[in-house]
Amino acid sequence: MPTRSRLGRTHGAAPYILGSLALLLALVFALSYDREDRAAAGQLMLYCAVGLKPPVEAAAREYEERYGVHIDITYGGSGTLFGNLKLSRQGDLYLAADESYSDLAVEQDLAREVFELATMRPVVGVRRGNPRGIATISDLLGPAIRLGYANPDTAAIGRVSRAALKQSGHWQAITRAALVTKPNVMDLATDIEIGSIDAGLIWDSTVRQYDALDAVELPELEGEAKQVTVCVLESSAQPTAALRFCRFLAARDAGLLHFERKGYNTVAGDCWEERPELLLFCGGMLNAAIDETVGAFETREGISVTRVYNGCGLLVSQMKAGASPDAYFSCDQAFLDQVSERFHPGTTVSSNRMVILVRKGNPSAISELADLCEPGLTVGFAHPEKSALGVLTQRIMKEAGLTERFAASGNLMLDSATGDFLVNQMRTGSLDAVIVYRSNAANALADVDLVLLDAPSAQATQPFAIAHSTNHARTLARLLDALTEPDSRQRFDALGFGWEEPLPADSE
Amino acid sequence: MNPANDSRDRGFLFSLTLFAGLYIALIVGMLLADATYTTPADLFKALESPEIRAAAKLSLITSTITALLSVWFAIPIGYLLSRTNFPGKALIDGILDIPIVLPPMVVGLSLLILFQTAFGQAIEEVFPVTYRVPSIILAQFAVACAFAVRTMRVTFDQLPQRPEQVALTLGATRAQAFWRVTLPQAGGGALSAGLLAWARALGEFGPILVFSGATRMKTEVLPTTVWLELSTGNLEAAVAVSLLMVFAAIAVLVTARALGARKGW
Repeated sequence: MPTRSRLGRTHGAAPYILGSLALLLALVFALSYDREDRAAAGQLMLYCAVGLKPPVEAAAREYEERYGVHIDITYGGSGTLFGNLKLSRQGDLYLAADESYSDLAVEQDLAREVFELATMRPVVGVRRGNPRGIATISDLLGPAIRLGYANPDTAAIGRVSRAALKQSGHWQAITRAALVTKPNVMDLATDIEIGSIDAGLIWDSTVRQYDALDAVELPELEGEAKQVTVCVLESSAQPTAALRFCRFLAARDAGLLHFERKGYNTVAGDCWEERPELLLFCGGMLNAAIDETVGAFETREGISVTRVYNGCGLLVSQMKAGASPDAYFSCDQAFLDQVSERFHPGTTVSSNRMVILVRKGNPSAISELADLCEPGLTVGFAHPEKSALGVLTQRIMKEAGLTERFAASGNLMLDSATGDFLVNQMRTGSLDAVIVYRSNAANALADVDLVLLDAPSAQATQPFAIAHSTNHARTLARLLDALTEPDSRQRFDALGFGWEEPLPADSE
Repeated sequence: MNPANDSRDRGFLFSLTLFAGLYIALIVGMLLADATYTTPADLFKALESPEIRAAAKLSLITSTITALLSVWFAIPIGYLLSRTNFPGKALIDGILDIPIVLPPMVVGLSLLILFQTAFGQAIEEVFPVTYRVPSIILAQFAVACAFAVRTMRVTFDQLPQRPEQVALTLGATRAQAFWRVTLPQAGGGALSAGLLAWARALGEFGPILVFSGATRMKTEVLPTTVWLELSTGNLEAAVAVSLLMVFAAIAVLVTARALGARKGW
């Protein structure tokens, strides 16, 4: 019987049910039909702090037009979006109005690379022309001024204003004088525009988004600047595409132009290139420690990093002859010092202790530098003009007061350019002892024994320095970050390098 | 009908009109205040924006789907609550009110969390929901259906049970009586439930923001547009879109009620 009713021959409800079903199917079809035409092109999903919508939307549109990559932008408060991405573990990028959120995302393993875009400072927002004549902080405290501020627990601007005004001792008075607290900065700005408050503590960049607003700068709020950042999420299935868009957004001649146009104080970004080609000069001793890391960085970023590994003396000569690498990872600070005018101050990444390698079982009983002067030994040193190792060897011998005694002993049999060559000579059994880096010996410990040198100067430190001339300083800073990450550190450790801090002399 | 009565009635009707007038003045006053922040040019500019047109289309389609689904679910639920008694009915009644009393953001958050559970993930594998269009419909439905259920329940409560009982005594099964006697009578109620659900879905924002995101051209519905424009200091556009929503809602609701009236609902 129900079948008959559905045919609608009686006065049943069937025609309506069938009709609504047909309508529903038609509507679902209309939706899915709409979806298909955009799925084809590549696309990225970006969580974006809603206050930053104007510049980000413009930059994303330009990127889509130039490269055909569609950026799906989800807007919300920085904190709300953080909650969303944490819960959903979806999306490629997160653009927060305040760096504390991107820091938190990195800390909780939700994000990896962070790009700085612009700086925001807290100011007092007032209606255009400052009709209430607000000029100092005490003007805000008068009963005639309707003042608003953002909740420090939900809005970055609230937290920043609180920090600044607590320091100046005005926070209590401000909270007492205020008429209203709002959850975010845009609500405050709208209130000022509508006229429901006279003044509010908001970002300078927010003021510039509203035609009807002016900013009053107060000395009490100075010095509390925050960075707008974008970061690549761990949940991204296409980090290379995401990074490329970040580089575009953070490029001073691409994405950052949109921020400048909207009145933001932008950071000094890199220049935009779809696939930057970087040149890295690198001390030969670091080859095994960094090559894999740099290769992985190249792949992830979708860029090319040409590595030139060589003795540091040679690299310095090349630079003096006109070579212009984007960064220099030196075997020792001494070599960087020779070309320091070309580079920003280096960051010491690792250290490499010097050791004496002796025959297995140490038959000559060598335990310190002075023992190398004992008669009848054959000793190999690195060449002081060709390598950092040679320079350092010369230095520690001099510091120990052994230079002349050693020369007189006639024990020096071999002056080699590299530590690796000396190690090979040791393994063949043609030498009794050599002075090399510990990393040189990492693969030879089955054949030789190792005596640590305890002089504090008996080590090289390896600084990574970025050239003044490069257009990709931020990208290189990320490479430096990659080099100091745990994975990379393990490679250094496995080769016997020390880490950043020089090792205490009695370790081992 | 003596004159004294007539004047007393006038006083009564006047006081009714006073209340009605005050409330209507409030509503119209809000719209007029909105209008001072926008111009016809802003409205046309809003209509020309591809983002806003996409949002309007998505809003209208998803609200309509939600309204249809809500009525489908509300009819059987309303009928059960109205015509049957079972243990735990008060509890079920209470559960059905949860979406009405829950803060909208919480509905969104709960949906978001639900789809991160093993159960939710299993669905996402086959049919992705979170941050996509189906999530909009689900978020709207979660709230709107509760309103439709209330309406259908009242509708069935108020329908005389007699025709249904007569059908049963004439040998119809309960299903037959429902399909052919009760449901046709409930047409007006179903229309009201559908329109209420539709209007509710059209204005739904909190759960959509959390569960669907505010992705331009993808999960952006009209309330999202208003919020986005407001959030970026574009008060004129926010108001223009709000007024467009008001016009669209009035047009749909008035037309649907007129069609219902022609059917005698």
